[in-house]
Amino acid sequence: MTAGRAATREERWLALGLWVLGFVALWATESAVGFTRDESVYFYAGESYARWFQQLFREPARALTDAAIVRAWDYNHEHPALMKELFGLSHLLFHETLGWLRPAAAFRLPAFAMSALVPALTFLLGSAVYGRTAGLFAALSFLLVPRQYFNAELACFDMPIAAMWLLVVYAFWRALEDRNWGVLCGVFFGLALCTKHNALFLPFILAPFALWRAWTTTVDRPEARVWLWRVLGLFAAVAVLYGLLVVSLGPAGFQRKFFLLSPHTLLFAVLAVGALGMLHLQNEVHPPSALALLPMATMAVFGPIIFYLHWPYLWHAPVDRTAWYLNFHATHNHYTWFYLGKLLREPPFPLEYVVVKTALTVPTSLFVPMVTGWLAFAGRAVLSLFERTKSLVREPSLAECLVGLNAVASILIISHPQVPHFGGVKHWFPSMPFLGILAGVAVTRGCEALVERLRVRWPRLSLAAVAAPVFTLLMLPALIGLVRVFPYGTSFYSELAGGLPGAASLGMQRQFWSSNVTAVLPWINEHAPRNGRVFLHEVHGLSFRDYQRNGLLRSDLQPGGPFDSDVAAYQYHQEFREHEFNVWQAYGTRTPATGLYLDETPQIIVYQRR
Amino acid sequence: MLLVALVCLVFQLRQPGHLVSEADYRTVEGWLRTEARPGDAVLLFPWWTERARIYVPPEVPVYGYLGSDKNDLSAHPRVWVLGQPEQPRAGEADFRAAFLPGRTAVGAPRRAGNLELTLYENGRYRPRRFVASEAYAKARVYLEAQDGTRTGCPFDGRVHRCPGPPHLYVAPEWHEVHFEPRHCLWMHAPGGTQRLVAEFDGVPADTELRLEGGLISEYASHHDARLSTAYYGVEDAATREPLLEIAQTPGLEGLQKAWRALPPGEPRTVKVWVRAENPERRQVCLDVFALGDGAVVSREGT
Repeated sequence: MTAGRAATREERWLALGLWVLGFVALWATESAVGFTRDESVYFYAGESYARWFQQLFREPARALTDAAIVRAWDYNHEHPALMKELFGLSHLLFHETLGWLRPAAAFRLPAFAMSALVPALTFLLGSAVYGRTAGLFAALSFLLVPRQYFNAELACFDMPIAAMWLLVVYAFWRALEDRNWGVLCGVFFGLALCTKHNALFLPFILAPFALWRAWTTTVDRPEARVWLWRVLGLFAAVAVLYGLLVVSLGPAGFQRKFFLLSPHTLLFAVLAVGALGMLHLQNEVHPPSALALLPMATMAVFGPIIFYLHWPYLWHAPVDRTAWYLNFHATHNHYTWFYLGKLLREPPFPLEYVVVKTALTVPTSLFVPMVTGWLAFAGRAVLSLFERTKSLVREPSLAECLVGLNAVASILIISHPQVPHFGGVKHWFPSMPFLGILAGVAVTRGCEALVERLRVRWPRLSLAAVAAPVFTLLMLPALIGLVRVFPYGTSFYSELAGGLPGAASLGMQRQFWSSNVTAVLPWINEHAPRNGRVFLHEVHGLSFRDYQRNGLLRSDLQPGGPFDSDVAAYQYHQEFREHEFNVWQAYGTRTPATGLYLDETPQIIVYQRR
Repeated sequence: MLLVALVCLVFQLRQPGHLVSEADYRTVEGWLRTEARPGDAVLLFPWWTERARIYVPPEVPVYGYLGSDKNDLSAHPRVWVLGQPEQPRAGEADFRAAFLPGRTAVGAPRRAGNLELTLYENGRYRPRRFVASEAYAKARVYLEAQDGTRTGCPFDGRVHRCPGPPHLYVAPEWHEVHFEPRHCLWMHAPGGTQRLVAEFDGVPADTELRLEGGLISEYASHHDARLSTAYYGVEDAATREPLLEIAQTPGLEGLQKAWRALPPGEPRTVKVWVRAENPERRQVCLDVFALGDGAVVSREGT
């Protein structure tokens, strides 16, 4: 199969069911999940942005001044605003206005909606490309990966960008047969840019497919090939002219002279009008090639426009502030990370890190099918390249290549030794749904082979009768692991690692992001002195406030440091051992009062001043 | 795939069986309360099984950090190994290879649920005749210029505080030196050619003089060009003879050690000093020991 196809009615209903199931499960379990360091920052930003929307409603002229915008939007401007806007507006509606939800749940609601999209979209793409059984396996298994389920609970961007990445790829694939999806692809890409900077890589991954499709469909159509060259020529000319501007003005001059009426914007207008106009004409000559290129054009045009429009912070100084944002991520600092007994502090990082970390954190009964599925795809792709081996395999279709490449794209990007390696596995989540689909393919093939054998004895045996127990067997260990580790998702390690104890012996990062502290908050509430000071170590100051306003931490307690506190909750990080010994020194004891020990591994260690 | 899934299922179902109950820890606590002697220590195996710290009597020091398997624990004549050998990837063979040489088991291991407690005689024991961090209150502390000029750092009952920035003082503190908790003398380098000196009397002769120290926390790993080598050492106060010296270059991690035999004779006064041209992030924590002869090791460990 090369071109996209619409989902059937049953598939749409099943996808909706999966979305509802995911959304309800996440909502029902969120109250146990602590506030990660980033999350409280986004809560605060969301509140600030929502206040601005209120001001926009009340006094629009003042709200639209740069001073008012900066006041509201300057906080956390290192990330685009879409998700934080949704978090803030949801909080405004469901907590502040209606009073239906506690603050954290109200903030998180849009994250559940986005996260629940992943199983639904995975099913739609998987079942269209490989069949419903494969799609279902991929969809059901996605949230059974404990670290993925944990991240799906958070008002952060990692799961939303995985959903948006998947949505853009799905739209791109559907656009191969449907012009409306070509337009939507550009819109979704714009929204993906508004979600997180991972989206910047999407055009580089999708463009080769668009070009390949356009090229192969115009082989026998010289007039369509001419139009193809014209469109490509326009893109190339604009790129060259932008390059000349950079060279002639210098990077700083290019940035300084980029304003509304400048060659920079003129070039963008030429690209937008020219590309869409040419594709309109090409569509009259040869629709398949025009359809193939349409997503590229809409992504190039709608992406920047939507990105600009969604973020008021950019409205008065789009170029400088976008440049700052991009530079922030291009020069992101490195946080220390414990890996196989060594503290990784700075690049170059081990090339194999992402693969090893994935192997040790995805439940092994799901990881093995992922590897099997991807290797089967890669093997077919390689063998079909050579004349001698071509006949041995079925050549992967364009859609299969799309899935296969996206399954490793984010992994390859993060594997670069110079890219920051902190943050567990969340930075390559966009790969995981695609790996899940390939796992589904491997499992389905296995089920089909099994059915074929069993039908010798039971001729009326259905695939479902075999797939159901196989799915159960493969997913059950993951489910048990998820239930056992929940809500401490950043601590999960797979069977291959030997679970948490095995990972501790291997010298892997025990936890991160501070959310495991919820385990000891009840003890602190019970034992901390009235108006006492509490050192919650890695817990962000805003999270301290959030624990209090969500009723998880006594409101009379004050945040303190290791030396001036009455109670300390040290979070076991190998790079922070000094902090625990500071507490020993300050408190005059080395004996913890209590702690969180997951499968005996120390996670949170609580000390009480004597 | 099904076989893998089955193995995974068995693994997940067996995991709760590796947990340790509070009652098991209480049992071990009881054994240690009645049988541990002053000077004994507990060593955790695997090193990360630190929940035991809650239950081990506070007078018995507990060792459990990345690398503690290899620690000589030379301050302790007897070591209780508190193990959880059934934990996944516990690495018992590696532990035994690192721990057993020079140690002799005393009696059979005892079990309390998943806990295993074994007492060992520590053949690597070296009696402490002098420990700088324990004698610090009687030390004379001062900043010493290159020309020998001294600026005193008076003792306030807790620390010897020097004039200048607040980190310039000498006192024993808990700090991390490459993952290991060390109760050592905080001696931050003062900068320039100045030395921070702590002078100790009565260091016994006919011992092994040993200097152990390092930069605390993450600072040893930093290797920016502007950082300086931290020098620290011991010299004879009377003869100014350098006895021990360590030069810790930026980026050199780990506990640094130097030692020499002190000949028989009268106890001597030694100057323990530290300096670094650029004091930034040169947060030295060190200790100086005079070690007597160790216990006779009757045989290699079992």
